[in-house]
Amino acid sequence: MDFFTAIEQSALFLIVLAPIAGALLTMFTSRERPQDAWHFAILVSAITLALSIFIFVQYDFRAGGYQLTHIFRWLGYPLDINLSLGVDGIAAPLVLLNGIILFGGVLVAQTIKRRSRDFFVLLLALGGGVFGVFVVRDLFFLFFFYELAVLPMYLLIGVWGSSTDFGTFRRTKEYGAMKLMLFLVAGSVLIWVGILALYVQAWKAGAPTFDMSTLAEMAQRGDFSEGLQRWVFPLFMIGFGVLAGLWPFHTWSPDGHVAAPTAVSMLHAGVLMKLGAYGIIRVGMELTPAGAEAWMPVLIGLGTVNVLYGAFSAMSQGDLKYVIGYSSVSHMGYVIMGIATLHPIGVGGAVLQMFSHGIMTALMFVLVGAIYDRAHIRDINVLNGLVKRMGAATFFFAIAGLASLGLPGLSGFVAEFMVFTGAFKEYLPLAVLAVAGAAVTAVYILRLLARSFFGEADPRWAHLTDLSPVEKGVAGAFVLILIAVGVWPEPLLRVINTGVASLLKVF
Amino acid sequence: MEWAWLIPVFSFVAFPLIVLFGKPLPGKGAPIAILAIGGGFVLFWVALLGYLNVVPGVNNCFTSSATGVFTCDYRISWFHAGLPGLEDSVELAWGMIIDPLALVMLGMVTFVALMVQIYSLGYMKGDPRFSWYYAYHALFAAAMLTLALADNFLLLYVAWELVGVCSYLLIGFWYERPAARNAAKKAFIVTRLGDVGMLLGILLLWREVGSFSMLDAFEAAHNGVLNQGAATAAGLLLFLGAMGKSAQFPFHVWLPDAMEGPTPVSALIHAATMVAAGVYLVARAYPIFMASGDALLVVAVIGLITALLASTIALASTDLKRILAYSTISHLGLMMLSLGALGYTAALFHLMAHGFSKALLFLGAGSVLHSTEEQDIRNMGGLRKPMPLTAFLFSLGALSLGGIPILAGFWSKDEVLSAVSHNMNPIFIVLALFTALLSALYMARAMFVVFFGPARTHGHRHSHPIHDAQLSMAAPMLLLGVLAAGFGLISFNWPGSYQGIGSFLFFKEHEGFHITWWIAIVSTLLALAAFFAAYLVYVRQRISLEGARTAFAPLIRVVENKYYMDHLYQWLVDRVVLVASAAIALVDRAVVNDVGVNGPAEVVGRVGIAMRRHVTGHLYSYALVMTLGLIGLAIFWWLRAG
Repeated sequence: MDFFTAIEQSALFLIVLAPIAGALLTMFTSRERPQDAWHFAILVSAITLALSIFIFVQYDFRAGGYQLTHIFRWLGYPLDINLSLGVDGIAAPLVLLNGIILFGGVLVAQTIKRRSRDFFVLLLALGGGVFGVFVVRDLFFLFFFYELAVLPMYLLIGVWGSSTDFGTFRRTKEYGAMKLMLFLVAGSVLIWVGILALYVQAWKAGAPTFDMSTLAEMAQRGDFSEGLQRWVFPLFMIGFGVLAGLWPFHTWSPDGHVAAPTAVSMLHAGVLMKLGAYGIIRVGMELTPAGAEAWMPVLIGLGTVNVLYGAFSAMSQGDLKYVIGYSSVSHMGYVIMGIATLHPIGVGGAVLQMFSHGIMTALMFVLVGAIYDRAHIRDINVLNGLVKRMGAATFFFAIAGLASLGLPGLSGFVAEFMVFTGAFKEYLPLAVLAVAGAAVTAVYILRLLARSFFGEADPRWAHLTDLSPVEKGVAGAFVLILIAVGVWPEPLLRVINTGVASLLKVF
Repeated sequence: MEWAWLIPVFSFVAFPLIVLFGKPLPGKGAPIAILAIGGGFVLFWVALLGYLNVVPGVNNCFTSSATGVFTCDYRISWFHAGLPGLEDSVELAWGMIIDPLALVMLGMVTFVALMVQIYSLGYMKGDPRFSWYYAYHALFAAAMLTLALADNFLLLYVAWELVGVCSYLLIGFWYERPAARNAAKKAFIVTRLGDVGMLLGILLLWREVGSFSMLDAFEAAHNGVLNQGAATAAGLLLFLGAMGKSAQFPFHVWLPDAMEGPTPVSALIHAATMVAAGVYLVARAYPIFMASGDALLVVAVIGLITALLASTIALASTDLKRILAYSTISHLGLMMLSLGALGYTAALFHLMAHGFSKALLFLGAGSVLHSTEEQDIRNMGGLRKPMPLTAFLFSLGALSLGGIPILAGFWSKDEVLSAVSHNMNPIFIVLALFTALLSALYMARAMFVVFFGPARTHGHRHSHPIHDAQLSMAAPMLLLGVLAAGFGLISFNWPGSYQGIGSFLFFKEHEGFHITWWIAIVSTLLALAAFFAAYLVYVRQRISLEGARTAFAPLIRVVENKYYMDHLYQWLVDRVVLVASAAIALVDRAVVNDVGVNGPAEVVGRVGIAMRRHVTGHLYSYALVMTLGLIGLAIFWWLRAG
């Protein structure tokens, strides 16, 4: 009982602490036995998974609001920076998502052989940063954790990534890592300017603080003038939007995927891109609502471009990872559209889509990684008839693909349907385009399935072996989640609905 | 009756069971699927009797004020979109509606699926993916039954997409063959295009009515909350989905290619059940179409065009399965025409009569294929001798669809024609009668050439002697044959409590069965003439078609090329969609990346290099710049002061 309450009070702190402390401790594992680092990382990510499940289950959707709150005082007036923690109905499912994907990512990273210790240190630090962003209620620490989540990507891609020659052009891992880093840091600069602007404004209003709840109240009271909000919101929209893959700032993302190793791709598309969308909601919409309202028509327009541009680009790609990378750009478009509707169903759909797309795209990267590890190629025009040799991989990929094209019964459908519904109410012509985009998705997914997975067995791939038990376990679990959420989304949605309802109260 | 939800659930449960445990089990899991659908068939009768005996006012049953139909509605919550209680939030339900329309579909789907699954035991024997075949069948049955039962449009859409994916999986079942892969892809994408419209129609109804429930939508259509413009828009958008699934012009191109799937699949999915889902959707959403006369007219026109075009192609086709496929398209067109002409009961009656007859024809064709491994009718002939049972049953189906009296197809087709002649412009009935004539002609051609004409010797590919269907294949055909022959008789007002199909399926007003004599006589004469002519041409070979072939050569070429519709679509895909896609991908690489991203990076790099040149470390050059700067400032200051 006492133990339980203790856990409950400190769950949010622990879930941030565990991976960061785990990362530090991983440094002390033996260099001679690289498996140790892997095992230790599994232990740490299993703890965070358990904690994330605990947090999600513990969240009382009837009560709503921020729960499991806790505050560690740090710097007083006039800075007023404190480690203030709390989750609401929007953050709780994303915490769960990160718990699942971090665990899965660590499990499939068994194949990392070179400097595996350093790899897991960085991966856990990244995971801790993501948890931090989702649970923190202070702008300073939000930014801190945001950077902690983003910066390890540079090394993870630059050191453990792969370079590919595409004939007409080359993508080296260094190029991918550098491009990603420059984009995200440029976005961070905008975000930091926005944060400081709000801080200064709060100071002018007489209560300097970085506390997000206080700032949100000030925004509601009208302490932030509409003019101010109108130029601050775009800073957040673009700054966080870069990470969400917002067109035309998406271009770091597919190149990053092509260069990144499997576990990094999983976290990159699975949760990192969600951080961007989450930032737009949490910081942009909550702290500068008037600005958000003014800019949403622009945002939904860009989101629609994301959907169609991503889908059409994916259709012409020859590399498996490029297909999925552009598909992520397209699917993040639905998230952006949903957010921009400012309609309870649309925003709820966006949050569900973050969860659903996170699992789905992580699943795809597990499988593509497994194929690449075995065939050392990802060209869909060269791969052929994989079903004969990799039956399990084909089965899982087909389900992920069907989820991607919005097949009912799988999680993507409910989310996309809700986004369409919200958009249909608010921006009818764009909703029509978005629904059509789902049909375009069918084209590239089915083309990919028909070319690479089905078809006659190719003797070149006769040596391939099917998924390892670990890979099967991870992929199987992801598939079960996709089906469970698709068939019974209510456990997630009732939490999301409360969060979205209080978020939209100001609009 | 409240247990009717179990009908699809049986098959839903069977699906994962077969996938996970099917292979090692006796029969490789097939018995699970058959038991599940058999259980569904039994429950259908329970539900039917329950419906007929239920007292109004209890058990969620009531007479709908919008449609006048006695309806039972059961639902449980599925999920909430938006926080319950807030504006615009909506609750989605797993709900089922039980009314005559749903019961008709339930009965037909469970029966034909059961027959086809039993038939497949023999047909698919020895296939390496036998278990998967039955797993897909179970999933299909479950989805199709959910489609028939759904009480809200979203659940209908869910089931609609699931039958689509089952169709995809089963068309591409032999994915080693490129034709099968491409056909599967084509079927999914073409129908998906229609579904875009359907989903938009559903969303439009939600926006206007505030609910996804069908009964709410019908109520709104009935009392005018849904205005005529919205009803037209919603009806037409829903109809787009129906056109995709039911292969109506111009979405019909996928169905003939779908014949790449195993023949029993063609019988079940691409003849009797799934392709009829479009007709079912229009019938289901009829109050919305009624609220908008324009939408009904579009349905009728599209139906007529489809029926005409497809029947001409069927006449020119030489592939046995494709003849049947085009015949299916044509008959689906007739059903749509009938719906558009207010012939609601006629359309559903024809849906059933056609379903039984066409399933029988496909199973017969499957029997031929299974035994001769031949699909081109030019290589067949005289098969009546080696396979008499198949020949008899196939002929029964062909005569039924050709419209020969007392067989099922005669009554239903007559009802359709009667509705058209009553409610439409005379041009419609003329063209519909012409379609009926063509329909009898191509059916007669297929039947006479394959079974009765002279035996062909070329095509000696079969290693084993041609044999008739084995028992597991023959029994389902026999049962379907009974229905294809006698189903029409249930339409009469037999003495006793039963009032005939017309009053069972009534809509708005009691529309019992009635014969329009002049149509019955004309259509019978046309059918008989067609069969006689075909007999003379193909069996007795008294008439040679060579003269006609040369005279109409250009026209025939157009028809043989399916009016170049496939070419047109291929051109659109290759020259428009893929080109656009490649262009966007190129822009992304060349403009967004190379110019937008690498460009600034390059500029920064160059500026750095250029700047570096100035940082020379030579004191005199710094001094020079400083002096120049000072002079510049001085001039500036002097100018400002002056």
